[in-house]
Amino acid sequence: MISGKVSVVCGYGDVGKGCAQALKGQGAQVVVTEIDPICALQASMEGFRVLTLEDTLGWADIYVTTTGNKDIIRLEHLTAMKDQAIVCNIGHFDNEIQVDALNDASDVTRQNVKPQVDQYTMSDGRQLYMLAEGRLVNLGCATGHPSFVMSNSFTNQTLAQIDLWENRDSYVPGVYVLPKKLDEEVAALHLEKIGAKLTKLTDEQADYIGVPSAGPYKPEHYRY
Amino acid sequence: MTDKQDYRVADIDLAEWGRREISIAEHEMPGLMATRGKYSDEKPLKGVRIMGSLHMTIQTAVLIETLVDLGADVRWCSCNIFSTQDHAAAAIAVTGVPVFAWKGETLEEYWQCTLDALTWPDGSGPELIVDDGGDATLLIHKGAELEEGDDWISSDSDSQEEQVIKDLLKSVNNDNPQKWTNYFKDWRGVSEETTTGVHRLYQMSEQEKLRVPAINVNDSVTKSKFDNLYGCRESLVD
Repeated sequence: MISGKVSVVCGYGDVGKGCAQALKGQGAQVVVTEIDPICALQASMEGFRVLTLEDTLGWADIYVTTTGNKDIIRLEHLTAMKDQAIVCNIGHFDNEIQVDALNDASDVTRQNVKPQVDQYTMSDGRQLYMLAEGRLVNLGCATGHPSFVMSNSFTNQTLAQIDLWENRDSYVPGVYVLPKKLDEEVAALHLEKIGAKLTKLTDEQADYIGVPSAGPYKPEHYRY
Repeated sequence: MTDKQDYRVADIDLAEWGRREISIAEHEMPGLMATRGKYSDEKPLKGVRIMGSLHMTIQTAVLIETLVDLGADVRWCSCNIFSTQDHAAAAIAVTGVPVFAWKGETLEEYWQCTLDALTWPDGSGPELIVDDGGDATLLIHKGAELEEGDDWISSDSDSQEEQVIKDLLKSVNNDNPQKWTNYFKDWRGVSEETTTGVHRLYQMSEQEKLRVPAINVNDSVTKSKFDNLYGCRESLVD
């Protein structure tokens, strides 16, 4: 049970924010670790404790890495955790947690409990559970994101594929983002399904804030 | 399993179950279905060879069938050894789209699947790639660099996975020393799904190693501010 447990979310970007909310919603006490002062302040203002990973060792129950960086939870952390801690990663790659080092540690034994759940026992008898061998836990131990949210992502993918093909002769190597107008279109396509009704801007209102009445509605630097 | 079979999944008999779930998911994916409605007559991707390296789930199946509906000639693999939903992979394989993915691949199998999805039966490669994490993009670039004399594959590996990639590229190089260089004649771009892959692309671009245009789908607001946030909020505790 997650409720009442101390959960540590490493990283407070978009993924970390979603994970922290999920755990809070389940009634966990959530601690966040961050390297970026802006994200750390965001986490604090949402009511999360911001500490270092070292601060949490011995009393936190659940760890989730969300950073996209490597070596977030290292062997020295894994071997110092509270007995029965659960450790997992939701970042894209499996190098956020030093699973290989844990597997190679001579005084740690590993036993598979069921697919994608491994129990590790330290020399002093303390145990931890590693989910999906440190790989994407929501896809390894469950079925990933819901369809509705993926429809947004994949509609962007489809529009990107069409754009790359139709303009293949003018593109040069480099990294591009889709125009904001398409972004707004993707969102618009998903509103009806959930019963949302858009308010229309009058021409006078559009003039007043200096945007076209059919969008795009925000400048490129707007952060949402 | 015969040699002629151009797919590899855990159990093709799961296709009917996969199809039922795909039909349900279509109702929850209005953006993709509207895109089909808008473009299926025009078929803007008609005949375009598209390779995808992205979690082979039910939702991805709806993406694949959207690309097919728009006319594309699609091959697919997963971008994680554990992320495939076997019934989704089977449902797509029976439609004739070559899928190379199952839940619980070894690292060797994973990279072989990537290679198989990248290789059309006549030996040609993709014209477009849907990438998630950048593994397909990485493999083609590293392969071409090897063919041009780069000695990365002889260097020490930081991980077991890095060694697996090097071993695969060595073996491809023995069979066809111009494979990846030839791929760049047809490859016209990649759209990248995730933060990590986008980070790799910007690094490659800064080092002037990126050889194709890439669209950063992750930083569409309707991607990262929704999928990354609300997606994780719901799927973490599943």
